[in-house]
Amino acid sequence: MITIEAVSKRFAGPKGEPVDALTPVDLTIPAGQFLSIVGPSGCGKSTLLRIIAGLETPSDGKLTIAATGVARPIGFVFQEPVLLPWLSTLANIRFPLDTGGVPRAEADATAHRLIKMVGLQGFEDALPHQLSGGMRQRAAIARALSYDPPILLMDEPFGALDLLTRDRMNDELLQIWRATKKTIVFVTHSVEEAAYLSDRVVVMSARPGRVRAIHDVDLPHPRGEATKLDPRFHQFMATFRRELK
Amino acid sequence: MSDAVAVPSAPRRVPPIVDHLAGIVAIVIAWQVYVTATDAPAYMLPAPGAVGGALADLAISGALWRDLGFTFGNVVFGLVLGALAGFALGFVLAKSPTLERWLDGPILLLQTAPKIALAPLFVIWFGFGTTSKIVLIVSLVLFPVLVATIVGLRGVPQNALELARILKLTTWQRLMRVELPMALPEIFIGLRIGAVQAVVGAILGEWMSGKLGLGHLMTFASATYKTPLLFAAVLLTVALGIAVHVSLEAAERCLLRWKQ
Ligand SMILES: Nc1ncnc2c1ncn2[C@@H]1O[C@H](COP(=O)(O)OP(=O)(O)OP(=O)(O)O)[C@@H](O)[C@H]1O
Ligand SMILES: [Mg+2]
Repeated sequence: MITIEAVSKRFAGPKGEPVDALTPVDLTIPAGQFLSIVGPSGCGKSTLLRIIAGLETPSDGKLTIAATGVARPIGFVFQEPVLLPWLSTLANIRFPLDTGGVPRAEADATAHRLIKMVGLQGFEDALPHQLSGGMRQRAAIARALSYDPPILLMDEPFGALDLLTRDRMNDELLQIWRATKKTIVFVTHSVEEAAYLSDRVVVMSARPGRVRAIHDVDLPHPRGEATKLDPRFHQFMATFRRELK
Repeated sequence: MSDAVAVPSAPRRVPPIVDHLAGIVAIVIAWQVYVTATDAPAYMLPAPGAVGGALADLAISGALWRDLGFTFGNVVFGLVLGALAGFALGFVLAKSPTLERWLDGPILLLQTAPKIALAPLFVIWFGFGTTSKIVLIVSLVLFPVLVATIVGLRGVPQNALELARILKLTTWQRLMRVELPMALPEIFIGLRIGAVQAVVGAILGEWMSGKLGLGHLMTFASATYKTPLLFAAVLLTVALGIAVHVSLEAAERCLLRWKQ
């Protein structure tokens, strides 16, 4: 469970003036929930996600993460894919396992399975600079999944993908989520993606960054093509879109 | 009719080594022609043949391998030691802003102090043997590697460090698997400067003291007016420098293959 109590973040702006990236946010994310955050550019989505990950310290407020005794509770997919440029795709995906003391054969098996899942077969030995932006992002996603963290924080992970690949990745992610009961916090610009994937959607607004509304998306699981035909699915999308204006 | 345009094939190039050799052969010929034309005395400018003879004599007497081996050993040992020390110190300084602020002045002082001027002091402190020579080489290699390491580690992108944090890497893992590889291109720049300095330091150390090495061979040759021998010693030094440079380049090409 992730508890966010009155967490706010203030940065120093370009001229040293304070910039409120995030005005106090209260949010409780139960274990196993799929939560999406939508909001206009610059409203503090990445900031919030980075605070949850411990990459940014809140200016005020309290963050509690109850992770049940795992060495590495958090998987993070950065907005810009972060790969180690001297490692092949396979070695990048295996990196958390190699540094976590997982036996070589087991790490290799996991990495190959994930390579297939994200559709990077044939690029196992390619270096990051030989991949396209979307391929790099998929490799970074596979790396975040490789060590099976109970909490997965994803910052616009599918933004660089074509629609078809994006749909496929959405379904893969839902399947992983159902199978592993991960807590997922997912930042996206797509109201469709948010409605399709999530249990709960947080709509944020900008200047200063704040939570505008929170919705429970009680569409039935498992989701699939039928979900996209559900009139309520379209109602959710319309609501989010209206609130983003 | 096909509208394909015949692309002229690139002019066929000979391997670069052939160009290099051609340049050297041209110089040797010009040298020989000059010596013959001006009838220069051998103690001023020996003919290429005389230098070759001096080299052959060195090889036969075994002095070549002994002196070359001594200098080469010192260069390699000093280079490795200086590089390790420079890297370790650079890492500590890059990681500790306080320490860096304190040591910034002393390091600048030591870095700009001409180590050549310290060389006699090293002889006083560490004797006529190998130690003073190694110390001189290490002092020459250390600073370029240290500075390059600091620059390299400073340049490690923030997001790579954040990844290390998310993955809860230990300090050692982060250093060896993230920071060192990221900083390696810069470190190699420092190493290349250090390698040139190492050869200079080795020769200089042998000039000043001891009875071994190419530097000693030079002082001996010049003191006894054996100019062909002096030329031979210089050539051997050049060859040593090239060998060090080429091995370093090979290591760099191998380790930095990912940089295209
Ligand atoms: N390190 C920083 N220093 C100063 N200001 C920052 C920093 N990081 C973010 N900000 C500011 O905080 C605000 C929120 O940024 P954030 O990256 O969280 O937005 P976002 O919602 O993720 O936007 P996008 O959808 O474009 O990714 C912005 O106004 C940005 O300028
Ligand atoms: Mg963002």
